[in-house]
Amino acid sequence: MAELRTEEFQVNMGPHHPSTHGVCRLLLTLDGEKIIKVEPYIGYLHRAIEKICENRTYPMCIPILDRFEYVTAMSCNYVFSLAAERLAEIEVPERAEYLRVIMLELNRIASHMIFFGTTVMDIGALTPFLYALREREMIMDLFEMTCGQRLTYNYIRIGGVSRDIPKEFIPKCRETIKTIDEKIEEYKRLLNGNPIWKARTIGIGKLSPELAIAYGASGPILRASGVEYDLRRDDPYSIYDRFDYKIPTYQNGDVYDRYMVRLDEMQESCKIVAQALDGLPEGDIRAKVKPNFKPPEGEVYTRIENSRGEMGVHLISDGTNKPFRLKARGGSFAHLQLLPEISKGCLIADLVAIFASFDVILPEVDR
Amino acid sequence: MTKEELKSYLESNYPELTYSESGKYDLLFIVEAQKLVKTCEKLRDDVKLQFNYLGNISGVDTTENYLTVYQIASISNKLRLDIKVILPHDNPSINSVQSVWPAANWYEREIWELYGIEIHNHDNLTRFLLPDDWDQGHPMRKDWDAPDFIRFPQK
Repeated sequence: MAELRTEEFQVNMGPHHPSTHGVCRLLLTLDGEKIIKVEPYIGYLHRAIEKICENRTYPMCIPILDRFEYVTAMSCNYVFSLAAERLAEIEVPERAEYLRVIMLELNRIASHMIFFGTTVMDIGALTPFLYALREREMIMDLFEMTCGQRLTYNYIRIGGVSRDIPKEFIPKCRETIKTIDEKIEEYKRLLNGNPIWKARTIGIGKLSPELAIAYGASGPILRASGVEYDLRRDDPYSIYDRFDYKIPTYQNGDVYDRYMVRLDEMQESCKIVAQALDGLPEGDIRAKVKPNFKPPEGEVYTRIENSRGEMGVHLISDGTNKPFRLKARGGSFAHLQLLPEISKGCLIADLVAIFASFDVILPEVDR
Repeated sequence: MTKEELKSYLESNYPELTYSESGKYDLLFIVEAQKLVKTCEKLRDDVKLQFNYLGNISGVDTTENYLTVYQIASISNKLRLDIKVILPHDNPSINSVQSVWPAANWYEREIWELYGIEIHNHDNLTRFLLPDDWDQGHPMRKDWDAPDFIRFPQK
């Protein structure tokens, strides 16, 4: 039989494609169903957060940064507060540190729940999405109980947190993490042995550790490629050195491993929350910070381990009450530029799986 | 290697780097624009340091100069370092560090787009955050103004 003549053609995937998790346009060059080239086009959600923050006082920046990465708004609050505290050398009270850790880890679980639900749904199973959102709802209730908000919290402030937890928080939180820990075991039983799930994920979108490091990948994606690097341990901040937890690391760097890393991480976060609840001391929840907060001149780059990798804030102060320059760095920005490198030669359906496994969130990319 | 050890190591082995006081938490060193790429290569390939991870590049407009700040880290040695380059305010330009860390690609595109700093040897300098037909200059510059951008009164 004579060889079939094929021709390249281009297709736009997005901006409003459901599997792009926001507004991202991928220009695909295809040969049949095989991908030759992927070009991501971003900027549809550019809100100039950095420019707006230059024109606001320090406390006013926190609710704006909530919108920077709204799925883990606690981390956004925290990374900015940490930068301001390091500039002004503020000592945060013990109780506030514990509350921060509890909130950050609960938020990490909530964010990984979104990852789990949407990734599995993108690949074709609808049921886990409903399960994941059901469990996430419990965490949202805890946040609502504490700060009145379910998505953009404005809870972690410079010098501490905005308010103390209510009495009923602790028993409800213990119950929540116990349930979630059990449910994750159930998710694993539900999916890990499923032949369709395995066929769609194992060996897809392989990322070597060298490529991952060169392209600035961080967080679960780096750890799924076999690099054991977690900023909570390796660039310590807050009080994470007091807790006992493992750093889940997998070796293959495919979609399946990126999924497994996150499921394990949720269970480790449950452990941290349980330990923090046990050790929660009494005391102040906020250091004394002047309402018209003016850090001394200087610059600092803080980075924390967010659920989507390294989240950083580069803050420059000129001694006034407004940041001179604020640069927000999100993990998704680096991961999205990695996408064209590892999706060459795969099928369109696999591209959806790879994109979902990166857990890219577009507001964080566009800012 | 602790922060002090790293500082003395860099001061004795890297004469092209100058220590700066303005870095409050991590070490901040200043390098000349012409020596940037060579120094970055040296930092990456130095067995004792291995700065193989580029976290972020930020552009800054100080109204007298433009700055680009490279936040780099070493994954195996668990080190952190900031490198700053000071550029003139007229026709700022700098060499791309893409050959050292491929991750620099999008960060440099962003600086080119929002600050108007020319990047040499970059493989894909095209707009991506602003609209394709944008013709109102470089919005992150301090002198940039828009009709609906109202400055807060300075207290």
